[in-house]
Amino acid sequence: MHFNLSEERQMLKDTIDRFLSDHYGKIKNHHENSKLIEGFNPKIWNESSSIGMISGLISPKYKGLGGTGEDIMIIFELIGKYLCVEPFLSTGVMSSTALSSCNINVEQLMDDIISGKKIISFAHSEVESRYDDSYVNVKATQRDDFWYINGTKSFVLNGDQASVLLVSARINGDTLDENGIGIFKINSKDYEIRPYNTIDGYRASEITFNNVTASLMCKDEIAYNCILETNYAAALAVSSEAIGIMQKCFDLTVDYLKTRTQFGKTIGSFQALQHRMVDLMIEIEQAKSSVMLAAGTYESEKNIKYRNVSAAKNLIGRVGKLVAEECIQLHGGIGMTWEYNLQNYAKRLIMIDHLMGDSDHHIEKFKKFSKY
Amino acid sequence: MDFNFTREENEFREEVINWLKENLPHNISEKVRSYKRLSKEDYEIFMKKLSQKGWLAINWPVEYGGTGWSTIQKHIFEEEIVKANAPRIVPFGLNMLGPVLIEYGSKKQKEFYLPRILSCEDWWAQGYSEPGSGSDLASLKTIAIDKGDHYLVNGQKTWTTLGHFANKIFCLVKTNSKCKPQEGISFLLIDIKSSGVEVKPIITLDGEHEVNEVWFTDVKVPKENLLGEENKGWTYAKYLLTHERTGIAGVPYSKSAIEHLKKISSTIYNNGIPLIKDPIFSSQIAELEIDINAMEIFNLRTVSAASEGKAPAMESSLLKIKGSIIRQKTCDLLRKAIGPMALPYISEQFDEGWNEEPIGPEYVGKIAKQYFINRKISIYGGSNEIQKNIVAKSAFKL
Repeated sequence: MHFNLSEERQMLKDTIDRFLSDHYGKIKNHHENSKLIEGFNPKIWNESSSIGMISGLISPKYKGLGGTGEDIMIIFELIGKYLCVEPFLSTGVMSSTALSSCNINVEQLMDDIISGKKIISFAHSEVESRYDDSYVNVKATQRDDFWYINGTKSFVLNGDQASVLLVSARINGDTLDENGIGIFKINSKDYEIRPYNTIDGYRASEITFNNVTASLMCKDEIAYNCILETNYAAALAVSSEAIGIMQKCFDLTVDYLKTRTQFGKTIGSFQALQHRMVDLMIEIEQAKSSVMLAAGTYESEKNIKYRNVSAAKNLIGRVGKLVAEECIQLHGGIGMTWEYNLQNYAKRLIMIDHLMGDSDHHIEKFKKFSKY
Repeated sequence: MDFNFTREENEFREEVINWLKENLPHNISEKVRSYKRLSKEDYEIFMKKLSQKGWLAINWPVEYGGTGWSTIQKHIFEEEIVKANAPRIVPFGLNMLGPVLIEYGSKKQKEFYLPRILSCEDWWAQGYSEPGSGSDLASLKTIAIDKGDHYLVNGQKTWTTLGHFANKIFCLVKTNSKCKPQEGISFLLIDIKSSGVEVKPIITLDGEHEVNEVWFTDVKVPKENLLGEENKGWTYAKYLLTHERTGIAGVPYSKSAIEHLKKISSTIYNNGIPLIKDPIFSSQIAELEIDINAMEIFNLRTVSAASEGKAPAMESSLLKIKGSIIRQKTCDLLRKAIGPMALPYISEQFDEGWNEEPIGPEYVGKIAKQYFINRKISIYGGSNEIQKNIVAKSAFKL
């Protein structure tokens, strides 16, 4: 048992840190990202491919250079640090995980992901599905040799830029059945799409399918497993991202406490505020430890893997809220403004609890996988 | 990063388990398990066995009789002795005084005292707190006046844990009152059997006698019992705090408590369903378990970093704060779990040889007591508020 990064991983981390610092270091305020037409900067996305940031998320089985829990943790912690909005979550983690869980040949699509050529989105959520992994109401019907998809998917990350969609759709059974789901690939753009910005600076879409032709990738047990694997990979990714964000919020707040003066002294000299900062520090270390445990046991058998990711996601939800709220409060009025960058970090941190299952969802999962 | 134990580490764990099976007397582990009052001999029998095996001083360098274990080995060892219901290893000589002696003691002091700690010939007590000096320790009043070949000590120490079993006490005393408080403190090694030393019990809120007051009236302490230099005692006292302490978070205790909590929660029913299935209560258990699992990693990565030479002063404080809150939370949930059965209080139940029928399941009798006494964890060893001051000072440089 040890907690150090290997030499290669440390190098990967340093390279990505420098890369993101070059591109994002100059941004004074991340709300500028919402003006990007694509919802992200295509130049950064393409360059990230050449430094191995995308392939770092993908297993050597598909010619990637990483793809372990530890790789996801390292890369996403940095994504959080710089509040990077490129499609690493939608394409790099979710779609690559979904593809690799379909048990079919997906080499070409994986190549296109690694090279940064294609944005691929995983469309599973629906307006009423909340965090249910098995909730699928969009229908798939087979006529002759073709599959047709009907219904609406909600909150498809980077859906507007995707050239391929991976869509969960119900072949048979009831809306919440784990069985009877299929994962389909859609190459065309024959659907209605309504893109929008999210409150935390990302881009997502509502997508409605009317008899859109699709090809079946996998179904039933494999498909449900594919959804679980994808959501858990994403849960680990955003939990790791939250660590980078929390550290940034904390650092901004320490700096502010050192410079802001009231009553003739820096407000950081007040014990009441110091103690609250120490509480944050403790909880951030706890959250970090929990994510490390989830990342470090990600290659274990499923019960342990899901249990530890759920634990991390639960703790991230609890601690993230504390950190976001406290950092705004400790800043006072300035923390409430659009112009001060803290708001972007705080928003993303809170919204991460709305992605891939919130802390209540994951406490139930934790209990389930711990056999309570 | 690797969260698997190596083959060697697993073998080490087996070795510890097997050794405990053969060497920890059953009557002693049974007393610990059922929360019976332990005698001085109970502690000593176990510590002497460890000493014979060479496993007593896990935090000392090998040349002084330490084990030379890795951080992970220490962690495994500490976990297994808690699981086996062994009495705790009394820390005052081994983990507090020992490292200070090794760092600052004279050759003669080391040669005299260290083997006596290892052989359990000496039982040390800690003489830090005073009635007027708790968090503000440097304001202490116990005075040592230079009388040529000896010091004359007058004053009072308090909260002296297991002082009634001790034959020696290390004390912070004032040797100069005309300077900054921290600069006039010395570190004295005092024989409790000396004339003028009196140990009086303090009974705590759980009705038990573990801590004491120690009074000093014209006690003569030979000059050779001064540790290090005169007026440098504060440095030595602080060294205790920064010295590697793998156990500060109390993770093995929390882990064993939550296992116990989960076990009993499947046997206690609330509205016809076991507590472990009760949506609200089970979520409280689950959140605590998540916190404990995170704490375990936090603790391990801190002590691992320390063993690579990164000073863990600030992290020790963080671990102490969170570790104490978590341990207290385990006691809190245990108390809630047993409902009204927390109320019966039969003090004799905790005497050796008590053979009457307990009220309710045997394990409930201790739970409220444990809850109340463990409120101490966030107070002793520098209260959590003091720990926060320490962190704020070093981390934020505000």
